[in-house]
Amino acid sequence: MLVQTLQALATGLLTGSVYALLGAGFSLIWGVAHVINVAHAALAVGAAYAVYALATRGVDPLASLAMVVPLFFLLGVGFHEAVIRPAARRAGDLVLVSMVLTFGLAAALENALAAVWGPGPRVVNVAYTGQAIRLGVLALPVPHVAGAGLAAVTITALYLFLHKTFPGKAVRAVWQNRDGAALCAVNLRQVTSLTYGLAIASAGVAGVALALIYSFSPATHLMWLVFVFLVVIVGGVGSLVGAVVAGMLVGALTNLATLVIPFAWAPFLLFASLGVLLLWRPTGLFRR
Amino acid sequence: MRLSRRQFLQSAALGAGALAVPQLLHRNAWAQARPIRLGGTLPLTGPFADTGVWVERGYRYWAEQTNQRGGLLGRPVEVIVLDDASSVDRAVSLLERLITVDRVDLVLGGYPGTAAAAQMALVERYRKVYISMGGHMASFRRGFKYSFGGPPLMGQWWYEGAWRWLANIPRGQRPTRAAAITVNNPVGMSVRESMLDGLKRLEIPLVMDELYDLPLASAEPLVSRARALGADMFLANGFFPDGVLTIRAMKALDYNPKVILQGVGSLIPEWVTQLGPDGDYVVSGTAIHHKLPFPGIAELNQAAQERWKLKWAPQYFLFGYAWAQLLQQAVEGAKSLNHAVLVRYMREATFKTIAGELRFDEKGLPAPYEYTTQVINGEVELIWPPGRRSAQPVYPKPPWRR
Amino acid sequence: MSRAAAAGLLAVLLVLPWAGAGEYPLALLYSTFMYATLAVAWNIIGGFAGYLSFGHAAFFGLGGYATGFLLVHAGLSPFLTAPVGGVVAAVFAALAGYPCLRLRGPYFAVVTMILGLAVRAVVLNLPWTGAAEGLWMTLPPWEPLAARRAFYYAMLAIALVTAWTGHAVRHGKMGVGLEAIREDEDAAQSIGVPAVRLKMSALTISAGLTGLAGGIYAYDRSYIHPDFMFDLHLSVLAVLMALLGGRRSWAGPILGAVVVRLVDEVLTVRVGTEVARIIFGLGLALVIVLLPEGLLPHLMRRRRAPRPPAAVPAAVVRS
Repeated sequence: MLVQTLQALATGLLTGSVYALLGAGFSLIWGVAHVINVAHAALAVGAAYAVYALATRGVDPLASLAMVVPLFFLLGVGFHEAVIRPAARRAGDLVLVSMVLTFGLAAALENALAAVWGPGPRVVNVAYTGQAIRLGVLALPVPHVAGAGLAAVTITALYLFLHKTFPGKAVRAVWQNRDGAALCAVNLRQVTSLTYGLAIASAGVAGVALALIYSFSPATHLMWLVFVFLVVIVGGVGSLVGAVVAGMLVGALTNLATLVIPFAWAPFLLFASLGVLLLWRPTGLFRR
Repeated sequence: MRLSRRQFLQSAALGAGALAVPQLLHRNAWAQARPIRLGGTLPLTGPFADTGVWVERGYRYWAEQTNQRGGLLGRPVEVIVLDDASSVDRAVSLLERLITVDRVDLVLGGYPGTAAAAQMALVERYRKVYISMGGHMASFRRGFKYSFGGPPLMGQWWYEGAWRWLANIPRGQRPTRAAAITVNNPVGMSVRESMLDGLKRLEIPLVMDELYDLPLASAEPLVSRARALGADMFLANGFFPDGVLTIRAMKALDYNPKVILQGVGSLIPEWVTQLGPDGDYVVSGTAIHHKLPFPGIAELNQAAQERWKLKWAPQYFLFGYAWAQLLQQAVEGAKSLNHAVLVRYMREATFKTIAGELRFDEKGLPAPYEYTTQVINGEVELIWPPGRRSAQPVYPKPPWRR
Repeated sequence: MSRAAAAGLLAVLLVLPWAGAGEYPLALLYSTFMYATLAVAWNIIGGFAGYLSFGHAAFFGLGGYATGFLLVHAGLSPFLTAPVGGVVAAVFAALAGYPCLRLRGPYFAVVTMILGLAVRAVVLNLPWTGAAEGLWMTLPPWEPLAARRAFYYAMLAIALVTAWTGHAVRHGKMGVGLEAIREDEDAAQSIGVPAVRLKMSALTISAGLTGLAGGIYAYDRSYIHPDFMFDLHLSVLAVLMALLGGRRSWAGPILGAVVVRLVDEVLTVRVGTEVARIIFGLGLALVIVLLPEGLLPHLMRRRRAPRPPAAVPAAVVRS
């Protein structure tokens, strides 16, 4: 029983960290730019397909990061310049407008992926799929560890960037007080573009991580999006630490719940606990 | 009497013309004959599209073949498939449109089971024959007169062959404990019924019986528990994405049951093409198979090779073709497009389809099938009934290839 | 729209089923009435109060399951028990909504989304309503055309009740209070607006009307399942329709619903569902960026705007 608990906990934390990664970028955009990027998970799926395409040509998913990260960074910047800025200029309620806008984009991306790849599911197989690292009685599947590793590295990098570098601090300044930052000669446009680039790049990395663990199809993004919302709301908008904690919490809770209650009730328990948590702390665990 | 040259030429022309007229008439008649229109909806986009597109291909290929062979009742057939985007609501309203506005002559079955079930209710009210996968046993117990499973995807029959196969294995070598995970939807629940029934008959205790909702986040807790409970038989009564997670979790946790029963995940080509060797040796059921010796299957396999570069005709391609073929045989046999006449005929006749010989009872169901498949070396082989075997079953499951 | 025009339209709608309309046009209008109901009902809490709910499908589905349950276990026709469906949804909204309404803005949106998912997860496991197999009901006993007429009138009645309710809320004291809440809830409370009571009322009314529609819808389907009765897409659609039509007025959502339903119909049949979705998504994005208030206010402004004065020669102006 103890072994099972530990096993469930371990796997839950590993998958949870990947949710955290997916949620971190989403949270960043929301916190800094007040944009709810509903297309975030769809972009991650796009990255997953890129990984698949390269994997079928013998490129390891981790190696494909070299292409995914810069590409998605540029995508993020481009997204901000070409879509968000024009929208922000005209819209009163950017949060709502951005939700609708990115909702449309997510649908378009889903259809585009389906047009290119077909609607069927894809699976990425690598040498270490199905292998596990043994820690005593525990078995940690290697793809999960790899995914969690990616998440850890990326989130740490983001955190260090935000706290230790000047541009990063500018991002935080903008987020804390937009006007105040502008008054301090922070270039809002550049900072927001940078934030977008980072956030979408992290979505790309999350896509790589998710591709290692799960099968996916164009329609998968909706399922991942639910996890993103949960993680961000519970963790607190804009908080990286919050996203990490919330992600782990979601992952662990889903798995542990099954030890106590029938697995079928696990989603309900998850939703109920998170709902209750939200009511106790309305702005999330780590709202800055 | 000697014909003048002109007279000769005139009669020759008349004669040639007379011979040509039936040809011309025939071609014109074919081109001008009002086509028989078959209409239905399928998920061509959305979560169920990977299966939906194959069913559509089955329908369209049937239409092509039928038209090449002279059509249905001498008229060309036209297939109209609308995309319901994997939405049951759309599936019903679009079908209602096809029936009332487009006035299609015949109705084509939908997918998946929830859409088919809702459409079964609709066609019963409009009194149209409906041949489809059905919505499992619950849908066939409604007393519907117009719906037929030809063949149905009947979860309750799914593992029937597997139980008979296992019963043939000497008692000492059979599995001793079973663990099951079932997807919490109509498909899963019906397959689970088949499982409970069979386990009882074979007297194998069920030590774990969990339901899960889609999407499955991780299979490790479930697999780890099955392993801890010493289950040497595992039933993954689910679909492809969760099936993939389950297989991988088993491999990672080094869990090696003697036999793995997979619900419907292994029914799509991707199980073999995407999952690879890890997906080998899973056992499943089916209603139709590309290695069955029924007339028509060989051509379908060939079409799959030529058009889509697949070794065998995919399951849902066969299903689509089978359902359309059944409609065709009913119409040809009854010599009518009148649905009341067709319904009567469907309950009296015996049909020889690519799914074998079918006779329908008052519920609209044929006799239960007991085909069992096993994925062996990347091929979906038939392992039961013995007379239809395409390969020897592999039991117990060999250890994971590393 | 002038009163005369509205009355005329209503008269046409009332007479249509007997004036030779076929099953499908009746079905199309029936579904438009339903969408209008959902949009107007949603708007009472979403537009007037500014609390964007992304879980309204929960109320819809509960209404449907309530009438379905009563039909299967008590033999009562949903045409009679639809109000019970509304009440069930309203009671649930009151119970679950009270804690939810303590959250604001996007947090409320997400928690209601979670609520919708949670309700689906629960009903999926409830044995008394078919659990994961779905719930089968007896078919309506009428011929298709007669059935279509019956459902048409039922949904029209519900839509009218909803429209009337929306109008009454908007132009009554409640509407003023909700608007104050939307503009600045804290300020409103400080001047004595009973925010909690008003929000609860709005949510309960909104849920009840939604459940009413769900109750009738279930009977038409005859087979219901949590996957499509509590579908997130339906919740999002309610939001989008109100957004498109205009959230400030009670009638804006009706316009949004009509546009959505008809555009969807035309596109799906002519162009195919996939392209329809892309066009719809793009169209929606354009509207939301160019006309953030929605279509109705824009149309009304254009009608009311005085004609611009004739261009004055620049020389005259400069001197």
